[in-house]
Amino acid sequence: MNLLTLFLSATLINNIILAKFIGMCPFMGVSTRVKSAVGMGLAVIFVIFGASVLSWLLYQFVLAPLGLDYMKLICFILLIAAFVQFTEMFIKKNSPSLYKSLGIYLPLITTNCAVLHVALDNVAQGYNFIETCVNSIAVPVGFMLMLVIFATIRERLEGNDVPAAFEGNPIAFIIAAIMALAFTALNGLV
Amino acid sequence: MKYLYAVLIAVALISLYGWLYIQNHKTPVPEGCESLKPDCGACGIKNCSVRKKYEGVTDHGNS
Repeated sequence: MNLLTLFLSATLINNIILAKFIGMCPFMGVSTRVKSAVGMGLAVIFVIFGASVLSWLLYQFVLAPLGLDYMKLICFILLIAAFVQFTEMFIKKNSPSLYKSLGIYLPLITTNCAVLHVALDNVAQGYNFIETCVNSIAVPVGFMLMLVIFATIRERLEGNDVPAAFEGNPIAFIIAAIMALAFTALNGLV
Repeated sequence: MKYLYAVLIAVALISLYGWLYIQNHKTPVPEGCESLKPDCGACGIKNCSVRKKYEGVTDHGNS
């Protein structure tokens, strides 16, 4: 598959939030402020890329040669959890400023099913190493894009007169639905 | 033999996670970051482990 096609497809057309409805928890939870959304998005990009590439290497060089395909789910979960712990420790030690902006979102990412989805999808689709890297960057970039757009809309909504029954999460779900509908227009792009 | 490999891999990964978890919790939090809390108050999941952890310091949210 063409790498640009793969990137555009994973970012816009098969967007993990609006097309697959995966990772909805941080999408709804950390989208009230643009600053928080950017922090969360950057942390997700870093964790998904690192965890997915490590998972792919573990599968290709350990699990597949030993015929232990059925172990991939439990192994990937453990690897992702270990990678998040390592990342948090590394950031704590080496970059306090980065920890201040991203570190707080790392425990949230451990429970983000998008990370596991990308790791499993790379293996299921039979991607090679380069395709795995591209997909592992493209998916969280799409996640961050949607998160920031959504947070921008929610910030602007605060100044508007929303009916009492729709305040908070109801109006957020309606916006998410409209965004999902809008992004279906990109289906024929690739 | 195949099952032995499976057990060994699982034990290795669990040990790795356990070791990193302990090391991470031993690492001191940088100065000025002691009272950080996630801005995830818009989420309504009350039994989320992250939410419970920060419940004492969270001053917003739906719960």
